[in-house]
Amino acid sequence: MEHSNPTPKSRASEIPIYEIPGGIHPEEHKTRSNQADIRSLPLADELVINLKGQAGNRSLPVVKAGDTVLKGQVIAECDGIFSAYQHAPTSGEVIAIENRTIAHPSGLDDLCVVLKPDGKDQWCELSPVTHLEDMDREAVLAQIFEKGVVGLGGASFPSHIKLKQHEGIHTLIINAAECEPYITCDDKLLQEHTKDVLLGAEIISKLYQDIDIIIGIEDNKPQAIDAIKQARQELGLSNIKLGVVPTKYPSGGEKQLIQLLTGKEVPHGKLPADLGLVMHNVGTCYAIQQALTEGKPLVERLVTLTGDNCKEPGNYWIPFGTPVEHLIQATNSETPKRLIMGGPMMGYELPSAEVGIVKATNCIIMSADGELGMDQTALPCIRCGACMDACPASLLPQQLYWHAQADEFDKAEEYDLFDCIECGACAYVCPSHIPLVQHYRYAKSTIRNNRVEKIKAEKARERYEARQERLERVKREKAERHRKAAEARKKAAEEAGKKDPKKAAVQAALARVKAKKEAQQSDTNEADQSKADDNNSEGNN
Amino acid sequence: MGLLSSPFAKKTNSVTRMMLWVIGATVPGLLVMIYFFGFGVLINLLIACATALVTEAFVLKLRQRPIVPILWDGSALVTAWLLALALPPLLPWWMTVLGTSFAIIFAKHVYGGLGNNIFNPAMVGYVLLLISFPLEMTTWLPPQSLAENPVGLIEAVSIIFTGAASNEATIDMLKQGVDGYTMATPLDHIKTELAQGYRIPEAETAPIIKGLSGAGWQWVNLAFLAGGLALMFKKVIGWQIPIAVLLGMGLVSLPLFFANSDYYLFPMFHGFAGATMLGAFFIATDPVTASTTPKGRWIFGLGIGAITVLIRTFGGYPDAIAFAVLLMNMAVPMIDYYTKPRTYGHADKKHKAGGGAK
Ligand code: SF4
Ligand code: SF4
Repeated sequence: MEHSNPTPKSRASEIPIYEIPGGIHPEEHKTRSNQADIRSLPLADELVINLKGQAGNRSLPVVKAGDTVLKGQVIAECDGIFSAYQHAPTSGEVIAIENRTIAHPSGLDDLCVVLKPDGKDQWCELSPVTHLEDMDREAVLAQIFEKGVVGLGGASFPSHIKLKQHEGIHTLIINAAECEPYITCDDKLLQEHTKDVLLGAEIISKLYQDIDIIIGIEDNKPQAIDAIKQARQELGLSNIKLGVVPTKYPSGGEKQLIQLLTGKEVPHGKLPADLGLVMHNVGTCYAIQQALTEGKPLVERLVTLTGDNCKEPGNYWIPFGTPVEHLIQATNSETPKRLIMGGPMMGYELPSAEVGIVKATNCIIMSADGELGMDQTALPCIRCGACMDACPASLLPQQLYWHAQADEFDKAEEYDLFDCIECGACAYVCPSHIPLVQHYRYAKSTIRNNRVEKIKAEKARERYEARQERLERVKREKAERHRKAAEARKKAAEEAGKKDPKKAAVQAALARVKAKKEAQQSDTNEADQSKADDNNSEGNN
Repeated sequence: MGLLSSPFAKKTNSVTRMMLWVIGATVPGLLVMIYFFGFGVLINLLIACATALVTEAFVLKLRQRPIVPILWDGSALVTAWLLALALPPLLPWWMTVLGTSFAIIFAKHVYGGLGNNIFNPAMVGYVLLLISFPLEMTTWLPPQSLAENPVGLIEAVSIIFTGAASNEATIDMLKQGVDGYTMATPLDHIKTELAQGYRIPEAETAPIIKGLSGAGWQWVNLAFLAGGLALMFKKVIGWQIPIAVLLGMGLVSLPLFFANSDYYLFPMFHGFAGATMLGAFFIATDPVTASTTPKGRWIFGLGIGAITVLIRTFGGYPDAIAFAVLLMNMAVPMIDYYTKPRTYGHADKKHKAGGGAK
């Protein structure tokens, strides 16, 4: 995007920046949390570690109640490849493995390891990699896998899976846009651990034979930009370029950042890898660097604590499983009116303050009354099109809404409902205060459920039809046999009649018996067959 | 307290604010109209607004809808306001009442209320009146400066409510210009003159024609233009539709003018005559009934501009914004369907696009 007013030189992008449609400029609320240095808080009395702390399968616990563990020790293993290892965030005793409320918008319970810290915070023996240069791709991936690294940008996608594919990747994009209001953890991490982040990015780049690295960052983070430039120079890393994008939400969306930095769109139904791109978040780079050069598994992350009711806002290293309640107390905060995990645009309200921090938690907003204004009643859509002007995916949100609320899901799909990234820009600008995204989520989940139902029904129908056809066939064959038998009988009788009437009578009787037998035989077959069918369909339902 | 779903941040805007902005932006135009055409304009406005609010409340009660929040959205008021600004200054009061209530009941609520109507309610009300009472609806006063008998507040009230002025002057007398000729709006005047075989340069010698278009009218249009630009600047309305309307007018009127300037008006005249600016900035931009796709907005606006000039030039009515808007309203569902923007990551716009599942 061209800047209308000249950009200060220090913030100028080193690569051309392209435009994205739509986008909004919500109030940033970032300064309150990005002033103080990164800090730590005293340990909580109890850590509640969600075993489903990543995208994919729930990890399988390998400890039991009563076990003592050291910090960094494996407490749960991968369940299949699409899962992640989990490690003890501190030393202490496992006091239970039980269902607890987890960080999820629906307030679900799920299996958690409950750990009582012993206060020593004692690390287990760490195995840092000494000769990174000599390690082959597999060995590096194995280390990342064993240290439980997942994407820290929000989706918690296991990193070893994302890094596995390496054919045709030519550029690594580091997502440092951090476009959501309130959140500043990536900004601070870049400022205070610049070299570690850059080295982490280099490790990823090496996995693909030293591909180019672009750091995509919004122009509202001049300190981080300067820090990157300095660290890059000191480390002598020439393959890192800064892509400074104008501050506009949602520039940090994966698809949007790719469009801003390359001018290309990820084709519908494809992945960034199909464009030769791979994107990782700042925090993930840091975690990968720690996993290799320090040998440290992922047991904590940087979290922005903020909101009007947070009395000591800032960025803190928080061990996973730390209950939000503890964060409220440790920062001397007032009881929040609403607790938001994530940013105000795409985060979700926590069902309770007891839930533990997970790998995806980049921010906790402890809001005051009236801080997050979504309480106005919705009015009818006046088709003003403001939502359309704000949509980064060039959708027609008003049409999606129109069809979603009328349960016309096929129409909503025709308007590309599934290309909606749920960024909330449309709902932000809507003068009728319609909770648009809520309607889209509802429509999407209903469509998905319907699809599953449809596949089930389809299968059942196919089974039913196959069975009907088999019965038909058996019937036809039976009739055919009867007919043939009768013909044979007739023929035999005729022939016999010509020669010897007596013999003919005997032969006719024999033929009758034979036909009867055959008919009986096929009847039993048929019965067996249908019985088998019934069992079959029960088993499958 | 239920759990909310994101986003939690909200721009401080609302339908009410938008509507109030629209009303506010018409004030310069309104004042200029009062200056040139007297207090009848204001009286029409008050009658229309009162009618709209009462009708809206009544219908909402019948439909068992919450009255206060919906009344407060301001949309009924805007309908009445825009309709009133399009009415001749001394229209009998009951016609204003009829047009306004018809607009609210039939053009809005019969379709299901705000957001569901296809046609611009104000223009539906206007066209109803125009078709039912063509004489009264084309009876404009001459600008006060040119009038033989300028109309004061008392006369205006008296004529609107009783049909007769207090000093026994009839509306026909009030319509007289200083030179004793009955006067109509500039567009009307040109049309009549052309029909009588005059050419435009001759028709334009009348005192009523002045400057960009006509005495008074050019100022009315300039004032609406100013208000409209303010709305555009404040992003209450998009810029595409008004520009497209004016462009559409130009694209049709300019070739005509060049082909034969004896019979076809200069584009600038179209732009500043009649209800052009009011229509382009305030009426065509009604969110509910306009097209809502990026390309659709252009087509919609161009269509209105072009149709307006065509009807003004070749049709039976001197002004035609209302018809043009209603015609294009009718085309909106089709325009919207065929101008669906290309979604991120999709090759090109297919209407059976999607299959969207991943
Ligand atoms: S912004 Fe809201 S009111 Fe305007 S068109 Fe979109 S959904 Fe409708
Ligand atoms: S939430 Fe979906 S429809 Fe709304 S602006 Fe974002 S991508 Fe567009």
